Amino acid sequence: MHSQSLDAVTTNRPKNTAKKRSVSLSYRVAVFMRFVAAIIGGYAFTSVLISLLAVLLPLNKLDSVLLTTTLSVFFYCCVFIWVFAVKSLKIVWITILLTSGGQLLALSLIKGWL
Amino acid sequence: MKESFFRSMTWLHTWVGLLVCWLLFLIFFAGTISFFKDEITIWAKPETHHVQHQAQRVQSQAEQINYVFAQLQQQAPNSLSWRINLPEPRNPVLSYGYAEPKQPGQRRAPFNYTHLDPNTLEQLPEPRETKGGNFFYRLHFDLHYIDVFTARIIVCLASLFMLIALITGIVIHKRIFKDMFSFRTNKGSRSWLDAHNVSSVLALPFHIMITYTGIITLIFMLFPYPAETVYENGLRQMFEEALPINKRAKPSEEQRPMVAIKDVLDQIYTKSPNADISYVFVRNANTATSQIVVYLATGKEVVDNGPRYLFDGVTGELEASSGEDWSASAQFYDSMTALHSGRLAEPLLRWLYFFCGVAGCAMIATGCIMWAKRLRERLKAEQKPSFGLKLVETLNLATLMGLPIATAAFFIANRLLPLGLAGRADKEILVFFLAWLAMLVVAVSGREKHHWRYCAWLNAAACLLVPVVNALTTDGNWITYLLTHQWALFGIDSAFICAGLLFLLQSKKIPSYKTVENNTKSNKNRLLKEQQG
Repeated sequence: MHSQSLDAVTTNRPKNTAKKRSVSLSYRVAVFMRFVAAIIGGYAFTSVLISLLAVLLPLNKLDSVLLTTTLSVFFYCCVFIWVFAVKSLKIVWITILLTSGGQLLALSLIKGWL
Repeated sequence: MKESFFRSMTWLHTWVGLLVCWLLFLIFFAGTISFFKDEITIWAKPETHHVQHQAQRVQSQAEQINYVFAQLQQQAPNSLSWRINLPEPRNPVLSYGYAEPKQPGQRRAPFNYTHLDPNTLEQLPEPRETKGGNFFYRLHFDLHYIDVFTARIIVCLASLFMLIALITGIVIHKRIFKDMFSFRTNKGSRSWLDAHNVSSVLALPFHIMITYTGIITLIFMLFPYPAETVYENGLRQMFEEALPINKRAKPSEEQRPMVAIKDVLDQIYTKSPNADISYVFVRNANTATSQIVVYLATGKEVVDNGPRYLFDGVTGELEASSGEDWSASAQFYDSMTALHSGRLAEPLLRWLYFFCGVAGCAMIATGCIMWAKRLRERLKAEQKPSFGLKLVETLNLATLMGLPIATAAFFIANRLLPLGLAGRADKEILVFFLAWLAMLVVAVSGREKHHWRYCAWLNAAACLLVPVVNALTTDGNWITYLLTHQWALFGIDSAFICAGLLFLLQSKKIPSYKTVENNTKSNKNRLLKEQQG
């Protein structure tokens, strides 16, 4: 199982030929972009989601804050893994931006920020 | 990114693991040691070693508090803060202290502590200046030498990576049960994979629990947004609502005598006749806004915050309390932090926590060794190792062999540094990092088998030196601790002896420089068990 991943890594390591080096560079950029999407995108999505949940849940203020904050790590993890499981990075960003934007809009309407 | 879900998960597991594995090893290592932080602090203060546990600990608390209050009234009647730490099952010493006036430029007012023998109420000699177990506790989430906020963000992110590595690890591990019972020794990196699987799977619930709850203890720094959205004044207001007893009254100039502490204690004993008091705090002593706060022990419940009461210091009226009737969410949150800190653990459970932590260290160590091993085996004869591989190997040796020796050096420094040294506590910590740095220098110079062997030998020497230095510099030693049933001290000395012997075994098992390289890799598995040092 691990060997597969390492195959992928070693074959993508910089070699002497120019062609392989360019493959490797684009591969590295792709990896970096995935991590950016997972860390920042996941963080933004989770933040908006739990804030909205905290407002919506039919609990008193303290309880809803404690509950949603405690579950935040779970949501963050799911998004993080999902970012790496989806094939296209474009779809990842579109989904994250749309869902986060939608939730943010709902939250602003409820709180009357607009 | 990858063709299949399965392969992308394998890939993710390898990379999130590798990126932060050395930092995670530090966190797990220091965190595992912190399960015994009270015991280590006792060990680090030999001036208090002769203090006996009380037979009637809880029953004599009222008398002790009365006595200490009289002392504090004489020593610091106008201090902004008093604190009384009552003896606990894990620490027999009674101590109290007061805040001295803050000098300009100081972030916190210096605290002046006095230690008492609870049996006789006689003052003990001033213990040496040391951070003791608290150093390791702080190290595992504040790191050291860097800004606390930055450090906690880094630790949060590393823990998140750990959690993701755990989840993806389960996903890619199809034959989880079959592999648990197969351990193929002497098969090169295959053995390392087996060791990695065993240490992960055996304590898997613990790993997930400790990582998740670890992030939860810092969660309000990472995700303050629900609180900021729901409350107008954000986190501050939420904490005030959650723990009203933490609301400090403003200092007042007006002098007012305080209520007799006996009246306050009577109210507590009326509520719960067998109350086991942990701490008593007084704020703004002898002024119009004085407050008295009493913390009760949590007992065996899975909560981190036991019952707490806030009394008006002038009238003695109960103003607020917390921890008596938690709501479900609050209990959920609090039980998570309680599970992480393990303060509820009695000796047996505490050892289980400790060994699960050791398994966690082993899991991380085998993971990063395996990565380097795999690439090494794949190298062709004429091929030079890449910079990345060399970096990983250097960090492996420096971290895995460096932290145990640094820990032993910290304990030795505690005994050998002169008592009157200025900033002694910080010097002990400096010794810790210097020892670690020395291992890094060794690792930079080379990472061959004989370097590992040499480091294992150094570690063994350092660990075995700890009980010896202790015996030479204090009144007690390993054998007298056993005879007088001082289990905390006996346990720490024993742990160092065990760790030292394991390192010795490791240095024997790693073949010397000239031996042909074969059939030996699995023996380094023993390294795993040694992280307890």
